[in-house]
Amino acid sequence: MGAERNEIGPALDGLRVLDLTQVAAGPYSTMLLAFMGAEVIKVESCSRMDINRGRARPAPGDTRVYPGGEPGERPWNRAAHHVHRNINKLSVTLDLSAPRGKELFLDLARICDVLVENYRASVMDRLGLGYDAVSQANPQLIYVKISSQGDSGPERDYGSLGSTLEQTAGLASVTGYEGGPPLMTNETYPDPVVGILAFGALMAALRQRRATGRGCLVDLSQREVTSMLLGEAFLDYSANGRVAGTMGNRHWDMSPHGVYPCLGDDMWAAISVSAEDEWLGLCRCIGQPQLASDSRFQDLESRRRNQAELDQIISTWTLEKEHYQVMHMLQAHGVPAGAVLKANETLADPHLEDRGFWDVVDHPEAGTYKQTTTPWILSKNPRLPAIAAAGLGEHNFQVFNGLLGLSPGEIDDLVESGIAGYTPSDGA
Amino acid sequence: MESRYQILGDITVLDLSQGVAGPFCAKLLAGLGAEVVKVEPPGTGDPSRRSEPFLDGRPALENSALFAYLNTSKKSVTLDLGLAKHAQVLKRMAQDCDILVESFAPGYLDSMGLGYDNLSEANHGLIYVSVTPFGQSGPYRDYKGSDIVAQAIGALMYTIGLPDREPLKVGGEAALYTTGISAFSAAMLALHVRDTQGFGQHVDISAMDCMTVAQIHSSIHYQFGRTPVRRETNLVQAKDGWVSPGLDIGVQAGTWPKVCQLMGVPELTDDPRFSTPEGRRANQQELLGVVGEWAATKPKEEIYHTLQGLRTITGYVATVEDLLASRQFAHREFFRMVEDSELGDVVHPGAPFRIDDTIWQLSRAPRLGEHNEEVLGGRLGLSPEELTQLFSGGRA
Repeated sequence: MGAERNEIGPALDGLRVLDLTQVAAGPYSTMLLAFMGAEVIKVESCSRMDINRGRARPAPGDTRVYPGGEPGERPWNRAAHHVHRNINKLSVTLDLSAPRGKELFLDLARICDVLVENYRASVMDRLGLGYDAVSQANPQLIYVKISSQGDSGPERDYGSLGSTLEQTAGLASVTGYEGGPPLMTNETYPDPVVGILAFGALMAALRQRRATGRGCLVDLSQREVTSMLLGEAFLDYSANGRVAGTMGNRHWDMSPHGVYPCLGDDMWAAISVSAEDEWLGLCRCIGQPQLASDSRFQDLESRRRNQAELDQIISTWTLEKEHYQVMHMLQAHGVPAGAVLKANETLADPHLEDRGFWDVVDHPEAGTYKQTTTPWILSKNPRLPAIAAAGLGEHNFQVFNGLLGLSPGEIDDLVESGIAGYTPSDGA
Repeated sequence: MESRYQILGDITVLDLSQGVAGPFCAKLLAGLGAEVVKVEPPGTGDPSRRSEPFLDGRPALENSALFAYLNTSKKSVTLDLGLAKHAQVLKRMAQDCDILVESFAPGYLDSMGLGYDNLSEANHGLIYVSVTPFGQSGPYRDYKGSDIVAQAIGALMYTIGLPDREPLKVGGEAALYTTGISAFSAAMLALHVRDTQGFGQHVDISAMDCMTVAQIHSSIHYQFGRTPVRRETNLVQAKDGWVSPGLDIGVQAGTWPKVCQLMGVPELTDDPRFSTPEGRRANQQELLGVVGEWAATKPKEEIYHTLQGLRTITGYVATVEDLLASRQFAHREFFRMVEDSELGDVVHPGAPFRIDDTIWQLSRAPRLGEHNEEVLGGRLGLSPEELTQLFSGGRA
C-alpha cells in the first residue's frame, strides 16, 4: 500500500451502535462496523436469543453446528453461526416485551448513534419500539431497518432467509446447470451482500446527519438489493423481451469458461478466457500452440460453438495437475484461472495469509479458530483485531452500570425479574 | 433538477475503472448524487461496452445492457493514459477530485505517475479506491481474474451445485457486483473518516477477499467439524416454476398444523417425522415429496403468498419477467424508466436503499467521450485549440 501506517485510531472510533440484528445479514453488517471500531451493543433477550445461538438445549437431530459436534454446557455460546458473526460486539440481554425492558432499551437508544435491526418488518412497531418511538427518544439516531421486502408494500411483513431471497430476487433463476432447474448457493449469498451494502448505506446516512443534524430511517430491502446483482438482465428483458435463464458455468463473452477437473478427489480449477492474448496464452500453456490456428477455435464465436470439444482438450491437460498448479501455470501465461478452493484450502491459502485476511480467535467456550474479517483494507485505518463473540449477557454490567448508571442492586433486580440475564430462559 | 438533498452532492469522483466491479461502485456513488466522470480509452472505451446482451440485439459501443446498467448518471471523457499529455490532464483532474476509483493491474498507474503516492501529494484528502481481482499485496497480486475465478478462489463455488456434478457458479456477475458493493461501502467509510478526521487514504479491494467474506458457512463449519459439501436441492416443482416450502428454520409451532390442513394431509399434523422444525429438516426429502404433490398443480406465486400468509418462510423462483410484474416491487416503485431519446427508454433497478427523502440519481449512461468538451474544456479550462491538440497525433 502507498501510505504509511501511523498512529491513527480506528475509522469508526466514537460511533455507538445499538444492535438488534439476528441470523445473518444484520449481524454481518454490525460485525463489519465493530471491526472498523464502532462500539456495538448487541441486545438479545433470554427468552428470544439471536437464532444464531440455537436452542438452549438442542433437541436430538438438531442440525446446528457446534465445535466438534458437541453443544457443550452452554450451547448458545458455542454455536458456529453465533461465534462467527458476532466478533467484537458487546452482549446484553433485555426483555423488550416488559415495560422496564422497553424503558431501558430507549435509554440505550438515547446514548447511541445508530440502531440496526433485521426482524420481520412489523416486529419493532408491535413492540412499540419502531422508528417513531425511537426517534422521539433520540432525534439524532439513525435507524437502519434491514427487512426482507422493505418497509412498505403488500409483502412488507413476509419472512425470508438468504436462501429464499436467492429465489424471490431472481438470482436462482440464472443459477443452475445449462438447461437445468434453478439452484441456490449453500452460502445464503444475499446475506453477506446485504450486510456489506448496509454498511455503506449507514455511512451515507451519517453523512446526511452531519449535514442536517437530524437522524433518519434507512429502509433497505434485501430482495431489492439482491435483484440489483442481475441488473443487465432486467435491461435485456425490458429492451428485448428475453428472460435470462440458467447457463451453467458458461459466459456470454468468454470461452473457454468453466471449471475443469484436476488431480485428486473432487478437485477443480476455474478458467475464463476473454481477450485474444489470453487465448493464445492458454494454447501455449497447455502445450498445444497449433490450437491457436485451428478453425474450430479461431474466435470467440467459434470457441463458444465448439466449447464441448475445447473443454475436452483442456480437461485432458488439467486432469494431470493439481488445481493450484493449473492456476499458477495459466496465470504465468496471462490467463485468468483460479483453484476451486475447499474450506480447508481457503484457511491455508498463502495469498490470504500474506494479506493478513484471517484472524486467529481464541474463544473461551468454542476454542481456537480462524475468523473471516473485512472485504476491504484501508491504508490508514486498520481494522481492529478480532475479539471472540461474547457470551449471552456478558456485558450486562458494563453497559447497564457503566453506560446507563444502574446500580449493582438495580441490575440484580433486572436479573431476578427475568428482564436481563446470563442464560436462556426455559424453552428458549 | 431536483431540489431534494443529495448526500454526495458536493463530491466529485474520477472513475478510471473498467468492467463490472469498479464501475458498479462508482454507479452507486453517482446514485447518491456524486458527480462521476468516467475516463475511458479513446476509440474503444470500457471493454464492457462490447459485452452481451445488447439493448437492440446489435453489437455497438453504445448498446451494451451491461455498460448501460453499470454507468448510469456518469459523464464520459476519453483519455489514453499511456500518453504523457493525457496522463498530465488526468493528473490535473485528480487534483480537486474527492474519490478516484480504478481497476488497473497493481502498479500500472504508479508507473504512469498516477498512483496513490503521486496523486495524494497535491491532494491530501484524496480517497483512492483500487478494485482488483486479488488486491494490492500478496503473491497473487499480479494475477488476472474474472467473476468465475473470484467465486472459485474465494471458496464460494465449491459448495454450489449438485453432489454428482461439477461446482457451479452463481449466475450473472454476482461476485464482481459484490466486489463493487464492497468498494462502495469502503469508499463511503473512507469519506466518513475524511469528513471527521480530515485525511484521505488508499482503499484496497480484492475480489478474492470479498468472496471469502461472502462464504459465511464453509470455513467456520469446516473448523467446527462439519465438512461443507454440495447438496441436493430443496426446491419443489409448482405448476409454472419452483418453490421452496420454508417450513423449518424460524417457523413457529402453530404453523405446521395449518399447513397440513391447507395441503389436505391433516394426518401428518402429529407425525413425528414432520411435527418439529428439526424433524422437517432431518426428513427434508420426504417432506418435499409431500409438498410436491400438493404444489404440482398450483402457480408458484399463489403458493408463495398462501404459505407466507401462514407465517412460513416460503420462496418462489422469480425470473426477471416475474420481478418486473411483482406487485411488491411495483408498490415500492423499485424499477425506474431511464430515458434515452436515441436508444429508447429502458427499465432499470432503482435505489438499493432509501434514506428519508433523499433522491436516487438515475440517468442514462454516457456515450463514449460525450463530455469531453464539458469536462476538459469547461471544467479544466482547456481552450478549443488545446482540446484539438490533445486529441491529435495520438490514438484518439
